[in-house]
Amino acid sequence: MSTKTITVGRVCRIEGHGGITVEMKDGRPANVQMDIIEGTRFFEPLLVGRHYHEVTPIVMRICAICSAVHAVTSLMAIEDAFGIKVSPQTKLLRDLLVQGGNIESHALHLFCLAVPDFLGYSSVIELASDRPGEAKIGLELKNLGNKIQEMVGGRAIHPVNAVVGGFGLVPSEGDLVILREELEKGIRKALATIDLMAALEVPTFPESPTLYAALKPPSNKFGLFGNKIVLSTGETMDVHAYKDLCNEVTVAYSHAKQSRFRERPFMVGALARVMLFGKFLSGQAKTACRRLGLHKQTDNILYNNAAQAVELVYSIERAIEVVDELLHRGVKKERPRHAEIREGSGTAASEAPRGTLYHSYTFNKKGRLTKADVITPTAQNCANIEKDLRASVERAGKDPVDALREKLQMVVRAYDPCISCSVHLIDLRPEAERG
Amino acid sequence: MAKPIVGIFGLTGCAGDQLVILNCEDELLDLAGALDIRSFHMAMSDNDEDCDLDIALVEGSVVQPEEVEMLERIRSRARLLIAIGTCAVWGGVQAMKNEEQREKLKRQVYGPKGKDFGIIPSQPLSSFVRVDYAISGCPIEKDQFLQAALSLIHGDLPVLPDYAVCTECKMRENSCLLLERGELCLGPITVAGCNARCPAYGQPCIGCRGPVEEANVASEVNLLREKGFTLVDIQNRLRTFGGQSEVMQVAPTERGR
Repeated sequence: MSTKTITVGRVCRIEGHGGITVEMKDGRPANVQMDIIEGTRFFEPLLVGRHYHEVTPIVMRICAICSAVHAVTSLMAIEDAFGIKVSPQTKLLRDLLVQGGNIESHALHLFCLAVPDFLGYSSVIELASDRPGEAKIGLELKNLGNKIQEMVGGRAIHPVNAVVGGFGLVPSEGDLVILREELEKGIRKALATIDLMAALEVPTFPESPTLYAALKPPSNKFGLFGNKIVLSTGETMDVHAYKDLCNEVTVAYSHAKQSRFRERPFMVGALARVMLFGKFLSGQAKTACRRLGLHKQTDNILYNNAAQAVELVYSIERAIEVVDELLHRGVKKERPRHAEIREGSGTAASEAPRGTLYHSYTFNKKGRLTKADVITPTAQNCANIEKDLRASVERAGKDPVDALREKLQMVVRAYDPCISCSVHLIDLRPEAERG
Repeated sequence: MAKPIVGIFGLTGCAGDQLVILNCEDELLDLAGALDIRSFHMAMSDNDEDCDLDIALVEGSVVQPEEVEMLERIRSRARLLIAIGTCAVWGGVQAMKNEEQREKLKRQVYGPKGKDFGIIPSQPLSSFVRVDYAISGCPIEKDQFLQAALSLIHGDLPVLPDYAVCTECKMRENSCLLLERGELCLGPITVAGCNARCPAYGQPCIGCRGPVEEANVASEVNLLREKGFTLVDIQNRLRTFGGQSEVMQVAPTERGR
């Protein structure tokens, strides 16, 4: 019996610190691990004792790339706890902010982190020296997402303007008109991204049966918000029952917890959304989806990059739609809705760039937080990443070790893992022992 | 003049300061042309782990023993070590409850079966190595970073503000959130550089850039007490980002419940 271990000490071009360990026995993978080695920050206990309005600015620091959607989801969970109903204008502006985050994140991942894999470059900088046109498109799209986040959120990273009940300062109609022009130009760049993706050959080595999960948009339109979780098995559940899906378990080799649904790993993210709700896409995003072959079901995670490209088109189109609706309604200088403090719990979910994100809090009668739980997409995806790594090793196990290492990194990178995000905490003590 | 050899590194944090560098979309390619970037794990796959560096930019705080070794190694390679972001400069939000035992937090979060790993209270880089220069902010401000990079490319040390957010806020002619609206604003004791970003959106400064030099914290605390804030709430806010700085330790920490 021969055994060998293949390790990738640190996967590059991902956000955070993660590694891979594969133990082979007789040419087959015996043990496959996605190691999360990022330091822990104990976010949830940090929040205990804080006033409800202090929670969001702290918790969004979990992650820079998805800070906008962390902020919005956190605010929605707080509002759920206190029964605050925000205005339609606030809902539209939050949608716009989250679309901005989605554009920035997907452009960053596609052009700076993932595409160099497909084209054989070590970074976007190297890509730029050979193919300046493509690198420029990527950076301009990223910049467009950041412009939205700056305008609506007050800062590209860790937005300051989104607060409990609404916004500190609403953008002016003039700002929105200028943004609309930028978005129109952005559509062309996103379609150029589809051209780029269409020309890439997608390898099949990680393919293996996959369970997808995503939030169901309330109307039959593609979207990043919803109150129901849907699985590709057809099962649905309310977001308040998120723990039934996420079932987090700690694993001995990782600082991140893992999720399994009835013992099966599942995938969340752009590919899950497009697989489950791609049929609701409209406009150019619908055409892009067909063009990249995503109207057919796939179990290949490497298509997550294509799904992100489709969502780039979707998010820009949706941002234009939101801007038009805001302009049509006329922007009102609203103050944030007031919170009536009461004892209770609140839960909310949104579709972050990397998948469904859950925030759940409990407050005492003074409005101070007593318990927090945040479940990030990457934590949910970890078990699925291991499944795909295993499938890859089974198919490519005879490759030279360096080639295999590259393939394994490609699988991890396709998930666009956000390792800062995945390292978080949950209170595991039985109810009775909790403070 | 030879291009400065640069390494960009991340310890524990949200990677937001490295992201600010990547967010310099209009300048990134010029920047990459003016610098010889040899290590940037977040954005590159061919990283040189051994070369000497003219400048090391390090984000994040130190929370595990392995990171002390990583940091010492970076220090030994670098002529100038620059801490970027509030985590690297002050310990960041994760230093907020440093007085609580890590073991306890670990068991609370991961349970008895979780991975047993070494963990230490979150500390800034300067607790372990000499830091030549500190650019704070959560995250760092893009313009400030670019100006600093420009100075370094020309062989100068960057000049950073040594005044408070309050000064910038007055220049913008914002109405005062602390005196006029009675909000828990840390503008008077927080280092400037953000152009009073939060007050401009009607939000009080929460001190994300860390304390300004010679901050008069006692006077700020007295003022906030007069406005009716409890010591616990004041302390909580002071320690959100500047938890590790001595000036912020004005009262014993209590758990507000």
